[in-house]
Amino acid sequence: MSPSLFNFVDAKDKFTASARNALCGKTSKPLINAFNQIPGNETEKKTTLDQALRGVLGDQIVEQKASCDDYLSLIYLSIDAVTEGICSATTPFLLLGDVLDCLPLDQCDRIFSFVEENVSTWKSNSFYTAGKNYLLRMCNDLLRRLSKSQNTVFCGRIQLFLARLFPLSEKSGLNLQSQFNLDNITVFNKNEQESTLGQKHIEEKEDGMEVEEGEMGEEDTPAPCSIPIDYNLYRKFWTLQDYFRNPVQCYDKFSWMTFLKYSDETLAVFKSYKLDDMQASKRKLEELRTSGGEHVYFAKFLTSEKLMDLQLSDSNFRRHILLQYLILFQYLKGQVKFKSSSCVLNDDQTTWIEETTKLVYQLLREIPPDGDKFATMVEHILNTEENWNAWKNEGCPSFVKERTIDDKPKRPTRKRQAPEDFLGKGPDRKIFMGNDELTRLWNLNQDNMEACKSDSREFMPSLDEFFAEAIEQADPANMVEDEYKAVRNSNYGWRALRLLSRRSPHFFQPTNQKFKSLADYLDSMVSKLAKELPKDIPSEEIKTGEEDDDDNGDNLLKESNDSPSMQSKLVTNQQMDDVAVKLGAQWKTLAEQLEMKAADLREIETDSEEVDMQAKLLLVAWQDREGAQATVENLVTALNAAGFSQIADSLSEA
Amino acid sequence: NKKNCSGTSHFSKWVTCPFKGRHGLALLHMSVFSQSFSPCGRFLAAANNYGEIALFSLSSALSPDATELSQKPILTFTAHEGPVFCLLSTDSQLLSAGNGEISAWSWAELIKKVMGRGKILSSCLMTLLLVSLCCLSQDNSLIVGGGDNNIHVMDLEQGNFKSVLHGHTDYIHCLSIREREGEILSGGEDGAVRIWDCRTGQSVHCIEVYKYESCARPQYGKWISCLTTDSDWMLCGGGPSLSLWHLRSLSPTSIFSLPGCQRQATFYQDMILTVGEGPCVSHCLLGGDVKAQIPCTPQSLNTLALNTNSTEHRVLTVGGSSDHIDVFTNLSYRAFSLSF
Repeated sequence: MSPSLFNFVDAKDKFTASARNALCGKTSKPLINAFNQIPGNETEKKTTLDQALRGVLGDQIVEQKASCDDYLSLIYLSIDAVTEGICSATTPFLLLGDVLDCLPLDQCDRIFSFVEENVSTWKSNSFYTAGKNYLLRMCNDLLRRLSKSQNTVFCGRIQLFLARLFPLSEKSGLNLQSQFNLDNITVFNKNEQESTLGQKHIEEKEDGMEVEEGEMGEEDTPAPCSIPIDYNLYRKFWTLQDYFRNPVQCYDKFSWMTFLKYSDETLAVFKSYKLDDMQASKRKLEELRTSGGEHVYFAKFLTSEKLMDLQLSDSNFRRHILLQYLILFQYLKGQVKFKSSSCVLNDDQTTWIEETTKLVYQLLREIPPDGDKFATMVEHILNTEENWNAWKNEGCPSFVKERTIDDKPKRPTRKRQAPEDFLGKGPDRKIFMGNDELTRLWNLNQDNMEACKSDSREFMPSLDEFFAEAIEQADPANMVEDEYKAVRNSNYGWRALRLLSRRSPHFFQPTNQKFKSLADYLDSMVSKLAKELPKDIPSEEIKTGEEDDDDNGDNLLKESNDSPSMQSKLVTNQQMDDVAVKLGAQWKTLAEQLEMKAADLREIETDSEEVDMQAKLLLVAWQDREGAQATVENLVTALNAAGFSQIADSLSEA
Repeated sequence: NKKNCSGTSHFSKWVTCPFKGRHGLALLHMSVFSQSFSPCGRFLAAANNYGEIALFSLSSALSPDATELSQKPILTFTAHEGPVFCLLSTDSQLLSAGNGEISAWSWAELIKKVMGRGKILSSCLMTLLLVSLCCLSQDNSLIVGGGDNNIHVMDLEQGNFKSVLHGHTDYIHCLSIREREGEILSGGEDGAVRIWDCRTGQSVHCIEVYKYESCARPQYGKWISCLTTDSDWMLCGGGPSLSLWHLRSLSPTSIFSLPGCQRQATFYQDMILTVGEGPCVSHCLLGGDVKAQIPCTPQSLNTLALNTNSTEHRVLTVGGSSDHIDVFTNLSYRAFSLSF
């Protein structure tokens, strides 16, 4: 029976229904059940469920009866679904995005709290890779909708959430190119005709940038300015903000001159106008508060000329401006990867910056309250910034350390300084081995390689030396029997082969001749060599050598003889059985000849009561003891000596 | 000591100089001795040691489109042959005193940049003597402290001298008035501060400041160069340290340890502003602490004036041994300078 086809619409409807069901029951079981029941492959079912969930959310939003909690429970449901594996990992994020797009800001606040609380979920493996881009986009959209001065706390929460979600080296959160916010322009009255004197109503229309706090309670008719205003200072002061906005201007000569002049004037005012009355500043700060009593945060400076006096007497305002100077100087002096090469300070500029930095710190220290502490703190923070600057110059590498393979801590070994004349570093370059004999030996030749190459180490004989006696033996005139020839000696043969491979070209010549044994091959080699080698070898010399070799050869030949005599064979079990039977009770006599120990005899007697068996045991014991010498010949000798010549004969004949 | 800077007649050659301002060396040696604000508060008149009075427009100097020209006088004229040590404004007139003469100029005409004809109010009586200061009273009488050690009271309407106050043994430096009690205070070279009753013309009290150990600075002398009152309080200084006195008990309550001799002091809100030897305006608290010293252009200051006639031009101006007059919109720093 063929599997039933997957019907999208049908599946979607089922999913939608079970999702609603799940929401009512606050459990994801109906959804899981529905998933399992519907036929079709995993991918199809998953994507359908995604669609279904989004559809449910869409319906909820359109109905406008749902509350934030309902949206949140749907999203919880989707998270469960992902954990169960029935839904794609991106779905919760898509749902969040949809919800935030469709709700007004106060409700977005609640939804965002949910997002914040679940940051650990978002960071878990199954969700992170799928969702991080969605979350980033969602947060950026929210930030665009919010005003920094009206919704400061909310903006802050979003930024903090992003900071917690992403690792420190996440590229989208970094200002890699070290760019400045060039749009942050401070507006003030440059143009005399547009002076705000007596034009209060226009100010109110502006974006909250120039909220006239100082004139609360005045009526609509604009009053003329009630205090004298120092326009000169006002203009120069606020022009400085442009240099803080775009520090690169400072590298231009003319801009720099203006900056210098205005800064000197401003700082002279700060210097002359000392703030020593904390009460006065507090009073003036109170005046700046709204009638509602809440502390209002202004993201931009208030630049009305009427506020100039109040601002000058405010400690915080001064700290702002002086800090701006310090940050600017740090940038101008610092190494930043993305600064162009033309951005270099000349000596005069550097000197001025240093002097002014000192002045600024002095002014900071004079500002009450806790001026000294503030100045120290600022200095410390700016020093820390150097590290961040260096980190950025390196391209913001990740802070996660890779595990090293070798985890064993290495014990530091203490190297002892060797004595001066040790190991040949002394004046006569002798190596002391610790004992005279060793020293003598070692110093015969310090370079091992050279020592090995010396002639006295040459142990390989020449062809004529080695094959001399073989050649002599090969000469039919000498009448040396085959079995006594050196070439029959396997040991000799092996050495001969090695020597041939090192010294003779005949070794490498291919031949069709088939040799039955090594000895035959060597015969032919020897005959070839005989033809080549000089014939003026004194034969006497060879003869003596030959005899020696023969003796040696015979000894060695014993074990690997081609045609060993019968007598040299080891006694077999069958033979031992036969002998044992024939021996019978007289085995003890043989035991004497075989030189068996009394202890062994006693053992044999106790082991068995049958004489045949005892005799057998005797022979076995003898065999064990003799090992390779338990030959027929020896047994025959022993039997003969014991007087069992008949048994000996029968044994030797078998 | 102001006396040493008195002008002599050989400066009169430059008085007739056709150029509008003075140049070079003359400017270097210029000292501003006195200032006065117009009744409307929009103009400042300043007088120097060459006998000139310059009129500055505060409204243009303080306006947003002020230029360097706005800091120059709109009118300069020679008022006297010698240095003008004192300027005083009434509701309609500017009175100047110098070289034995007291002249009255119409503010209305001055504002129109017309010198007008200065009316000489007094002449022969004091030709030989140095007129140092004058001070105005509510009943339209002018109090003049003279170099003849006496205080003369003149009726401004009639133009004649009503009375003479005798008592000081040396010439008078400074005068002050307590309107409510109808008392005149005078300080002089003899080191005494005398309190006079206007009606009787008698010296009610005499305080010899240099005799008080807390204030005395014998190394500077005993003369009193500045005097100002504020209801029950009096500030006086000069040779002795600047000190705050409680007039009812006639005892010093605070001594201000300022280097040099103070030449002019005034009460301002809960502070005391004072100028004297030294290139700064000192802000002092009533308790005796010197709160701040704001640097100024002239090396030594002679006159300090606060423009109470107008709120939008309420500035502090100081002048001294320089052709520059520093203007403070905010008491704590010098905003700009007017110059002759």
